[in-house]
Amino acid sequence: MGGEDEERGKLKEFEQIDFLKDRHVRFFQRSLQVLPERYSSLETTRLTIVFFALSGLDVLDALHVIDKDNMIEWIYSLQVLPTEDESNMQRCGFRGSSHIGLPYSSKGPGMAHPYDSGHIAMTYTGLASLLLLGDDLSRVNKRACLTGLKALQLEDGSFYAVPEGSENDMRFIYCAACICYMLDDWSGMDIHKAIEYIRRSMSYDNGIGQGAGLESHGGSTFCAVASLRLMGRLEETLSERELDRIRRWCIMRQQTGFHGRPNKPVDTCYSFWVGATLELLDVFQYTNYEKNRNYILSTQDRLVGGFAKWPDSHPDPLHAYFGLCGLSLLGEPELMKVHPALNVTQRAFQHLQQLQQAWRDNVSSCT
Amino acid sequence: PRPPLLCRKLSGLYFIEDRKEWSDLEPVPQDDGPNPVVKIAYSEKFTDVFDYFRALLKNDEKSERAFTLTAEAIELNAANYTVWHYRRVLLQALEKDLRQEMRYITAIIEEQPKNYQVWHHRRMVVEWLSDPSEELEFIADILSQDAKNYHAWQHRQWVIQEYKLWDSELEFVERLLEEDVRNNSAWNQRHFVISHTTGYSDPAILDREVQYCLCQIRKAPHNESVWNYLKGILQDRGLSSHPGLLERVLELKETQCSPYLLAFLVDSYEDALETNNTRATLNQAQEVCALLAQVKDTIRREYWLFLGRSLESKYGPTAAPQSDAASSDAADQQELS
Repeated sequence: MGGEDEERGKLKEFEQIDFLKDRHVRFFQRSLQVLPERYSSLETTRLTIVFFALSGLDVLDALHVIDKDNMIEWIYSLQVLPTEDESNMQRCGFRGSSHIGLPYSSKGPGMAHPYDSGHIAMTYTGLASLLLLGDDLSRVNKRACLTGLKALQLEDGSFYAVPEGSENDMRFIYCAACICYMLDDWSGMDIHKAIEYIRRSMSYDNGIGQGAGLESHGGSTFCAVASLRLMGRLEETLSERELDRIRRWCIMRQQTGFHGRPNKPVDTCYSFWVGATLELLDVFQYTNYEKNRNYILSTQDRLVGGFAKWPDSHPDPLHAYFGLCGLSLLGEPELMKVHPALNVTQRAFQHLQQLQQAWRDNVSSCT
Repeated sequence: PRPPLLCRKLSGLYFIEDRKEWSDLEPVPQDDGPNPVVKIAYSEKFTDVFDYFRALLKNDEKSERAFTLTAEAIELNAANYTVWHYRRVLLQALEKDLRQEMRYITAIIEEQPKNYQVWHHRRMVVEWLSDPSEELEFIADILSQDAKNYHAWQHRQWVIQEYKLWDSELEFVERLLEEDVRNNSAWNQRHFVISHTTGYSDPAILDREVQYCLCQIRKAPHNESVWNYLKGILQDRGLSSHPGLLERVLELKETQCSPYLLAFLVDSYEDALETNNTRATLNQAQEVCALLAQVKDTIRREYWLFLGRSLESKYGPTAAPQSDAASSDAADQQELS
């Protein structure tokens, strides 16, 4: 009968676009345990996977399922602390994992090793993870982290990931901005040089690339705009006309969900990279919420949980996390709100504000 | 537990542990403490290679066996930046043949073209050799497999700028655009080449580029890249300043319309309003915004409505009213009806 078919059709549509919260909680829980060998390329970046899982659980308001204290200890074991003679200050920060082979230790002093140094993205995600777990960062050697960070900045304003050298681009400017913001201390970077690098990375098409001359991209556009926001320099660096042009570039990225570059296919994670940028620029409200939500949910893995970049593809922690953040921007009911510049929940952000207030109170009570 | 030594020898499954040349070295395991997080379950073989790698690293050993081991480690995990760094240290300390290293890194990138570490390594070797002579051809090959690989384009721009290899790049760009006129990376490269060589100040060059765009638009109207490029090269001089362009765009609107064409039109009208704010021009802009919101780009409906409101609030209050001729025409029309 026509009526029944119609009802069944509607039900099927509903089944494919409903949000399976519990599946995602379990997906992140499993990510935090053991991964099969085919994930070996993630070894040096394991701390970022931890961040995706923990922040993902935070957005799902499900951090209670993990042992926070154990997690905090493990993260602190990744801190590269100064050695007794402080000869390695410029190499301090957080490691991505134990891959170098130092014996486990979650307290100082640091152990001398010819190749042990922090990685800028691990310092950023390490600090963010500690924060969202409710830690007070009291065991972070802030001076060491900031010294290590400063050593990574190049003449052109961008950053290396590691002191031994690496590629340099907008991603690491964002990591640096987050680190300084969380530690409430901008001595770790030359803001002026970083801003100049950002300006030079603006493309003829009004998006922002990874560096000067490079193709504008949703990821680097987020990194640039979010960094300026964290520095508190967004409106003074970019004119209203420039902001309008960036708004236009970003809003054109919506196809159903969002893509990262003109004429490229959409990908779930850009619902956050571009969505958050639009939110920072006050125009996310003018996007099409329904099409965006439907796309993100079409990439949901109904069996295993998590999200993939495309429908019918394998989910991974990154896309699971940014898929959730994309939904959070849309106001998905069961999700916590995400701070669009710092990329943690508003709750974690408030915890940070309280911490920073206490730091300032301590400083003034000492003087 | 490992299979017994005899079994391993018979099946050819040699671990580092079994190799006599390594017997002096004590392998160093990974230590994640009592509660490991995101632990990766490595096979025996994998663990073996990296336990010995960690031992070498700790001693900072500079030897041929160390160099050989880095290749094994890379094969297992080419994303481990510490292994690549250590390999570079050894390349220099052991004065290895960098031409051979170029062949090696070429093969690895072909297998894993989206890995950051391999491209960085290639850049270092090219710098040490001060020899970019293979780069353009190599990158072209990678781009023939994925014409939008960001790493490839980034490396290409670095090589061209560093070694001043501009001469045949515009030709390369045009070839790619012939293959796919919607390749946004190629359009970006076009801008990169021209802005660093002739620049856009010469009116002959600017007009050549405008004509090139119009030609590409006629062939494939629904292409954001070409419209972004056209707008990009004109917007700081004033979109409405290029003679005859607005007319051509209005012609194209009839047969090769697209949301991008209409957006270009709105921006052209806005540019005109900046120097000559008239109600007539403002109305034209509003009309196009309405067309975009209601018909031609409905996914961005709210944005086009917002833009219309913004234009009205920015230009409306001080817009020069309709000209006398226009308003008396309107009055005549009203009388007749």
